[in-house]
Amino acid sequence: MMSSTSDIGQARRAVEQLRMEAGIERVKVSKAATDLLQFCTEQAKSDPFLVGIPAATNPFKEKKPCTIL
Amino acid sequence: MATDGLHESETLAALRSEAESLKGRLEEERAKLHDVELRQVAERVEALGQFVMKTRRTLKGHGNKVLCMDWCRDKRRIVSSSQDGKVIVWDSFTTNKEHAVTMPCTWVMACAYAPSGCAIACGGLDNKCSVYPLTFDKNENMAAKKKSVAMHTNYLSACSFTNSDMQILTASGDGTCALWDVESGQLLQSFHGHGADVLCLDLAPSETGNTFVSGGCDKKAMVWDMRSGQCVQAFETHESDINSVRYYPSGDAFASGSDDATCRLYDLRADREVAIYSKESIIFGASSVDFSLSGRLLFAGYNDYTINVWDVLKGTRVSILFGHENRVSTLRVSPDGTAFCSGSWDHTLRVWA
Repeated sequence: MMSSTSDIGQARRAVEQLRMEAGIERVKVSKAATDLLQFCTEQAKSDPFLVGIPAATNPFKEKKPCTIL
Repeated sequence: MATDGLHESETLAALRSEAESLKGRLEEERAKLHDVELRQVAERVEALGQFVMKTRRTLKGHGNKVLCMDWCRDKRRIVSSSQDGKVIVWDSFTTNKEHAVTMPCTWVMACAYAPSGCAIACGGLDNKCSVYPLTFDKNENMAAKKKSVAMHTNYLSACSFTNSDMQILTASGDGTCALWDVESGQLLQSFHGHGADVLCLDLAPSETGNTFVSGGCDKKAMVWDMRSGQCVQAFETHESDINSVRYYPSGDAFASGSDDATCRLYDLRADREVAIYSKESIIFGASSVDFSLSGRLLFAGYNDYTINVWDVLKGTRVSILFGHENRVSTLRVSPDGTAFCSGSWDHTLRVWA
């Protein structure tokens, strides 16, 4: 079969790639999840969607009409 | 010679069986660290309150389906591209159109704003990515200064400037991604590994280093080292095309949206999927995803015309937004997180806050 050398080349690359991927360092999901949580919590106060920006400062929201008392 | 053929096919079979056993080992290694679910860890976090999000601006002007959009770093300007071949730059505060250019092709599937705000990039069925400097000189024809940067052998599906105006990353229907020098048009690095069309890409936040993630029709999400061109991690849990990928703001994870009607979260350090955002009632594909600034919310646009807002940590849906009259095809949160913009096959873009 004429195409066998390229098939072998492809198969070899696939094996090398998988060896590399199998060998990377991983952390436990509990640790990774805790870090994701921590990041969210720390950043929450600067997240406009969570904190809510008053209409006056959000350029997309309408400003409330002023009443003269 | 017959004996050579036999030898080669033995090697091929041996390599293939080694690949299978390595895949098995990869799954085992990942499973060993799967000690808890993200949503369980998130039980101790306060639930989110009610959200009021409404369409605050509607951008009308495209003559056909909106396919892609991107925000300028000034948090105000937006570039969008359409099936009608037009690329428009809008001032989202006033809804005025500031620039418009007609591409030589229809289906402009990708567009991006340069970090400086002084140029835009776009492409689609022309198989190229072109850069247009933005000029405010009324006498200048925007199309005259067009620079062809990237050349693929199939459609351009996504493009993004890196941290400067000088380099562009592209994804294509030809199954590859590529990094280009804008000035010279030179190919700096190419990324091979997807088994089918690449539909989306996202660059890691600059603090995280030189990597990017891509998603494709082979159902895989792949993370790449930009310098070496090598794939460093790959994830294959979606059941259909991955239409959109977006990094979590810390750079330690990324979300994906797929034609299998789910969005998923993959943690890079745990090297696995850690959450799936789905409901039995959601049966249409997710076309585009983006995070709020803290990463707590995931906004996802769907082919059933809706936008679902997900609590990333708890895995629950917090809101469903109606308004578009056809598929939502593109969605991005503004650079300062005060709003997000969605583009649709209904020819409009909407800014929500």
